[in-house]
Amino acid sequence: MATELLTDPATASRTKRTAAPSRWQRMRRDGSAIALVFVLPYVLLFLVFRIGPAIAGMLLSLVKYRITGTIQWRGLENFQRLFADSLFWNALQVTIVYTLIAVPLTVVVSLAMAQLCARSIRGIKVYRALYFLPVITSLITSGVIWQWIYSGDGPLNWFFSAIGVGPLPWLSSGAMVLPSLSLMSVWTRFGYDMLILLAGLLAIPREYSEAAMVDGASAWDRFWRVTLPQLKPALFFVVILELIQSFQVFDIVYVMTGGGPVRSSYSLVFFLYDQGFHYFDFGYASAAGVVLFAITLVVSLWQRRLFREDS
Amino acid sequence: MRRRLLPHLPLALVAVATVFPFYVMVVLSVQHGRPLSLPGSLLPIHIDFGAYAEALAGSDMGRWIGNTVAYSGISVVLVLVFASIAAYAFAKKRFFGSKVLFWTFIAMLMVPYHLTLIPQFILISKLGLLDTMTGLIVPTLANAQALFLMRQFIIGIPDELIEAAKIDGAGEVRIFFQIILPQCKPILATLGVFVFLWHWNDFLWPLVATRSPGNYVLTVGLYSLQAKDVSLAVTMAAAVITFLPILLVYLLLQRYFVRGVTMSGMK
Repeated sequence: MATELLTDPATASRTKRTAAPSRWQRMRRDGSAIALVFVLPYVLLFLVFRIGPAIAGMLLSLVKYRITGTIQWRGLENFQRLFADSLFWNALQVTIVYTLIAVPLTVVVSLAMAQLCARSIRGIKVYRALYFLPVITSLITSGVIWQWIYSGDGPLNWFFSAIGVGPLPWLSSGAMVLPSLSLMSVWTRFGYDMLILLAGLLAIPREYSEAAMVDGASAWDRFWRVTLPQLKPALFFVVILELIQSFQVFDIVYVMTGGGPVRSSYSLVFFLYDQGFHYFDFGYASAAGVVLFAITLVVSLWQRRLFREDS
Repeated sequence: MRRRLLPHLPLALVAVATVFPFYVMVVLSVQHGRPLSLPGSLLPIHIDFGAYAEALAGSDMGRWIGNTVAYSGISVVLVLVFASIAAYAFAKKRFFGSKVLFWTFIAMLMVPYHLTLIPQFILISKLGLLDTMTGLIVPTLANAQALFLMRQFIIGIPDELIEAAKIDGAGEVRIFFQIILPQCKPILATLGVFVFLWHWNDFLWPLVATRSPGNYVLTVGLYSLQAKDVSLAVTMAAAVITFLPILLVYLLLQRYFVRGVTMSGMK
């Protein structure tokens, strides 16, 4: 109790002091000493488990290190190896193609669903609650279910066979596996993006739309000229979020295809995981991590620049 | 009548598509020992919970449930405690380096988790914490997002409240517990729900941080089941068991999920 009273400026000023207060005493009086105590656990956790490992990850990309061996400085050798490795280029290509399919699909579906859910009709809350269910489901659970949905004797192929177009090799053909994974990914994510866009939509003053309607603008015009510009910040946030998420795709690939068939769903993080925890080639895996970091950084900085131009 | 039903049509179609995979999961889980044939297998004519019994008895499922509850539960409590204490200091105190420190934490959000994965793995193996609950939990506690959201919320608490408590002679610790924390209930609930969700569904970190099947969490266990040659009904029963607690939390605390999403979207 005594120390607490001393940190309090009101009571501290009442105690008479003759000598000039030391720095520590000043800190105790203005409350910054206790503030340091309060942030200490977080600072330690962050240094040891986030900042330290992030720096270590970058340094590891410059060494050769396997779990049993010693650390050998190799400079940029890992990166030279990476850029000459067809497996890495394959992983990068898979990730980019997946992103190019999954992100636009998810954003368009989310935007359409947000528009539909913005109307106040009966039971709209039930719909919104249902759409959010896949978001809270673990990707492993979802993966187990969807693997069967896509399987040879699953419901999709039963349906497509019944109408005479199937069965289709959803996960077993190199050409179809990424679209199939993207489709599932839309199912797992649109509920989340939809909520963000819905919050953005509901924040647009009705007067704008009404004024446009008085001016004789069609629904389509109102969407392009009123809704979309107003929704830009929320839409932008969703696009960036989806880009970053897609570049880091791992769980669904791991559980549904194991990177196959013939590495046609072998993504960048899958490559990192494979090199790190299958071959225990930590330096090489970390080099892939640095590449992922560079990509994420470019996307984030691009986002910040666009935001600044906006405001 | 048609005018009233028409807007429901697209919403209902998407709802059916959204729910169908869950329906598949539940229906297949109660068709234990029955040969698969469509469309008959999708109609729950014979209901048999044998697959649940087999999933719970034939694997370490009971332990996975316990591990997952511990991993999520302990993490929620510790993240909320550490984040709220630190966030209070960052929100209401000026101290040397506070701004630099805070924005360093936030900048860490831009570093992909996967870059830190391998050093974290090496770190806990060197500390001898591989395949332990401590090694699983502690590295996940440095949660920048939790700190950020807590700080944003505490900034909004009026300074007058804190000043008044000071004049009444309350110390910093008391101010935190009796003034700040009670005000933080909504954000604590929102964050708590999300930290719970992240941990319950977490896969990659538990995959590398645990070794022996008895130490798996549900997601890793479910994956291992699927890789083993158990029947479809048993896998689906395990999927239901993994999903059910999250569904219950969602049904009870739905508004906190929604609030959490919209808050992160409004950064």
